[in-house]
Formats: sequence, structure tokens, C-alpha cells
Amino acid sequence: MTAMSFVFIPFTFIFNDVASIYVYLQIMLALLILWIIFKKKDPNGKCKLTQEEEAELISKWQPFPLVKPAPKSHRGYDKRVTEGKIGKYINVNGINCLNLSSHDFLGLNEEKIIESSAIESIRKYGIGSCGPRGFFGTVDVHLELEERLAKFMDLEEAVVYAYGFSTISSAIPAYAKRGDVIFVDEEVNFAIQKGLDASRSEIKYFKHNDMKDLEELLLKQAQLDSKNTKKAARTRRFLVIEGIYMKTGRLCNLPELVSLSKKYKLRIFVDESISFGTLGKNGKGVTEHFNIPVTDVDLIMTSLEMAAASVGGFCVGSSFIVEHQRLSGLGYCFSASLPPLLTTAAIKALDILENRHELIDELQNVCCTFHQYLLKSDIIMNCFTLIGDDISPIKHLRLRNNGNNVQDLGSIISKCEHMNLAITDTAYLDIEKKTPIPSIKLAINRLLTNDDLIRVINILEKAVC
Amino acid sequence: MLVGGHGDSNPNTSWLKSRGMWFSYTIGMLVLHLIILSVPLLTVPLAWTITNLIHNLIHFVFLHIIKGAPWIPQDQGESRRLTHWEQIDNGRQFTKTRKFLMATPIIMFFLTCFYTKNDPNHFAVNFVSLVFVTLPKLPQFHEVRLFGLNKY
Repeated sequence: MTAMSFVFIPFTFIFNDVASIYVYLQIMLALLILWIIFKKKDPNGKCKLTQEEEAELISKWQPFPLVKPAPKSHRGYDKRVTEGKIGKYINVNGINCLNLSSHDFLGLNEEKIIESSAIESIRKYGIGSCGPRGFFGTVDVHLELEERLAKFMDLEEAVVYAYGFSTISSAIPAYAKRGDVIFVDEEVNFAIQKGLDASRSEIKYFKHNDMKDLEELLLKQAQLDSKNTKKAARTRRFLVIEGIYMKTGRLCNLPELVSLSKKYKLRIFVDESISFGTLGKNGKGVTEHFNIPVTDVDLIMTSLEMAAASVGGFCVGSSFIVEHQRLSGLGYCFSASLPPLLTTAAIKALDILENRHELIDELQNVCCTFHQYLLKSDIIMNCFTLIGDDISPIKHLRLRNNGNNVQDLGSIISKCEHMNLAITDTAYLDIEKKTPIPSIKLAINRLLTNDDLIRVINILEKAVC
Repeated sequence: MLVGGHGDSNPNTSWLKSRGMWFSYTIGMLVLHLIILSVPLLTVPLAWTITNLIHNLIHFVFLHIIKGAPWIPQDQGESRRLTHWEQIDNGRQFTKTRKFLMATPIIMFFLTCFYTKNDPNHFAVNFVSLVFVTLPKLPQFHEVRLFGLNKY
């Protein structure tokens, strides 16, 4: 049979001895084709309006505001504009004030050497570093700073970040992952909270500086672990604390925490943003203050934006631990590295820290004296409770009556401003884990003399009355 | 995202409309049939049935099973959960492209019936394959997942 004979088969022949069902089906399909072909296209969905209808619709339309109007008590309305360099004195709204509001605890902002070294560095390297550390952003000063920091802290390795906040919020999720457990003090700062969010671990908060509460949590966790030892073997347990708590100005109870973490096999991370350069004989932070070997702490995370008078942050620890961040620290991998001029400024600040131990003593003296002065003043103590340890450069004054706190604080602050004293109240976001009672935050720096302190107390007393 | 150019965010809805598409489609079918016909062991009815089955299989897999758009690798948006058939002309029914793609399997079926002389076995196989590619093309089955099949 050839193909040709198939082409010329007459139609009638095909239907001769075929069941009628086939014929009916084919007729139906033919009708379907016809229906498909002659069916009209669906309308496009666009309806045409006359010009009048259009105008009417447009006139009816009222736009929603992009942002809801803020309440009158919002901080944005209270515009405080600073001018010029910020050192011991600060120019707020054109008034030259004594500065108790910035975190420059050692007064290094006033050091001319740091400034001139930064200017020299601009001449040599330019402004930016042109990329993240892994992609052409590493300059010799970064390596020098890391080496110096590791040497200063007596640890193996340091890793420098470009921003203090991101140091802490990327160091935590670099290690803690889903399925791990993190024990945290409930008054930790916002950077730590963001790091905890990013880690997706199970977070267990213990009461502020309450070792008994922590131990109870640890015991509960140990009981859980004993039920499922297979899972427990794969679960890592972390303890995240601050050296000096930003929200309360209190020191952590490091000796107890270290012994607990040894007993229950926790990895202990300390945020030393405030305690670096302010605690200990050499300014090495909270470990030196309590005479605990630094190696007992697994990771130290620090901002360079406070006592070190620069920008950025760093983590120090053993090479085994810290090296991990060079690929897993998100803030390290994916943001441009610290500009060389700020790096050299940090190196110079470190020089000063190494060579002039008396600075730290002076600062601690000022902090303790000021603490005593505050406690002695009856007027201030009638209105406020003083929160924070005497040695801490951060002190919080909480209003005693629980009335309209925030506005009272605002009026006290503006009164102080008119009497040439710059102080701030605390600002918290609604999304924070625990919003503390609003307070006035006093940041002490080394340059304040005894006369200055007495003046501050006098101004505060007048403002409160 | 610059996928199709000229603001065409999903070329899945437009390339079937392009010029010469129907002609290329027909030529493609003819070439496929001639290749199968040239295999020595296959008789003419068998060659037609195989051509029809391959054609319908391609329709079924590429138009009614695979979802999303190959042009937009990351965020596919709406088209992630739509088959190619449902994406054509942005879901508008009875456009020229849709009419063409709806008619071709039926015309192929007629040709196959003709050249197999309505042999019952051939008829059954071809008719079942035709049902599989024609039913999902009907507007009543737009975005319908029977028995939750191929839902995600």
C-alpha cells in the first residue's frame, strides 16, 4: 500500500462500514470548531468613560495621606539642631551647652592627634574604601586596626565592622541559627534584639541582672534536654549580655554569668559597647573589671562609636570563632568597609588608650563623684530615682510619679537647655521587647571638672523645681 | 524587570501572537509527521496516530501542566500559579491565538481519523488524547484545578 492511495481515498468510503458513534463525534467536533472560530473575542476589560464621568470621578477622589500625621508629643516636633563640633561643649539651637548627651566618655573627640591623623589619612587614601572587605575594600589600615585590637584585648583575632549597630546585630546570627536557644537579659539594647530576630533561634529572656531567674531557666532547659538527648546534642545554647546595659546603666554580674555558662555549657557573648574603654585598669572592659580571663568569654562585640570616638565596631575572640564571621557576618560581608580615615582615627584612639591609662581612672572618678552628688541632692532624689552603677558613665534618672512622664521630661530638658546644659531623654521604639519607663539619660565624660559637676547638679535642681 | 522589552513584562503572553507563528507551527507539524513517516516499520495510520499523540502530549505538558514563565526566573508574581495557556493574552478568552491553538488538535484529529480510516483502536486513543487537550482549553476550565491536581 503506498502513501498516495491514502491521500485520494474518497470520503464516502471512510464512513461506509463504521459505527455511527464515530460519525456523531466527528460532527460534534466540527461544530465545536465552527463555534470556536465564530465566537467573538472577550471584551478587553477596559470600559470607556465620557469626559464628564471622568471629571466627576476625579473630583470625588480624595488622596490618603502617605504617612499618618504624628501626635503633637512626637519627638520630631521637638527640633534640636546642633552646630559645629561636638566635644565637651555642644551648640544646641544656638545655645552653647555643657554636653552630657553624647557617648564620648573619654573625651577623645577633643584630641587634636586623632583629628590630624584622620586628615592625613584622607590625603593618602581618599574618603571611601570603595567596597566590602572581601571585594577590594580592604586597606592596610584595616588589617593594622584588627591586629592592634586583638593585641590590645590579649586575644587571637579581631574583625572590624563598618557600623557599631550592625556589628552586634550580625555577630549574633552568624553563630546562632534556627533550633538553637539563646538566653538573654530582658533589658538588652535594640542592636542585640535585632540580632536575636535575625538568628531565628528560640529566645529566652531572664529578668534584668537576676541570676536566680536565669538559673531557673537553665534548669528547665536542662530538664527538656534530658528528655530528648539526641536533639539536645545538636542544640547550641548561647548567653547574650551587655557589659554595661545601655537601658539601665548597670553592670552585668559577669563572675556569676561565667560560672553559670561553664556549668550549663553556654557560649557567652558580651556586648561591650559602653564598657570598652571605660571599665578595667586598661580600659579592656568588663572582663578586666571583674578580673576574669578574657578567654572565659567566647565573643566580645564592641562598638567603636563610644569611647573610641570613631565609627564602626569590632568583635574579638579566638581565631577559630572570629574567623567564621568573615564569611558569615552579614554586616562584614555585604557592607562597604570602614572608611580609612575613620580606621586611622580608631588606631590613634587605641594608641591613646594604651599609653594613657590615667584617662580611665579619671573617667571612673568623675562617674563616681557625679553619682555621689546626685544621691546627695535631695531635690533631685525627691523627683527621680537614680538607676545605674556608680562606676558606669551612663546614668538614668527616672521620674518617681508615673503621671505624664514624657512631657515632664521634655520640659525639664528644655529648661536645662536654656541654662546651658544639654541632656537627653531616652527614646525607644514600640517594637522593642520591653520598653522601660522613660528617663533622662546622662552620659558622663572625662573632661567634666568638679565645678562642672556641681553646676550640672545646680541646673538640674533648678529645672526640676 | 526588562524581560520582553518595550514594557512587556511577560513574553509568554505575546510570542504566540508574533508574525509567521501559525505558518511555523504548521511547518513544524509537517516536518514532525514526515520524519515519523520516514521510519520504515511504521505504517501510514500508525505514523498519523503517533504524530497526533506527540502533538497533543506537547500541548498538554507545555500548555496545561508547567506553570510560571521561563522568562522571569526570580519573582514570577501572578504567573507563578498560572499555566502557559492561562497566561496567553493575559487570560483574555477567544483571542486569535487561543482560537488557533484550540482548533489545531481538532483538525489534527480529523486528519488522523481520515488517514486511519476510522479504525476503532486508533480512534479511541486519539479521541482520549484530544479530550485531554481540549477540555482544559475551554474558558469554563480557566484556573480550574480538577480534584486539586497540579494545584501548586
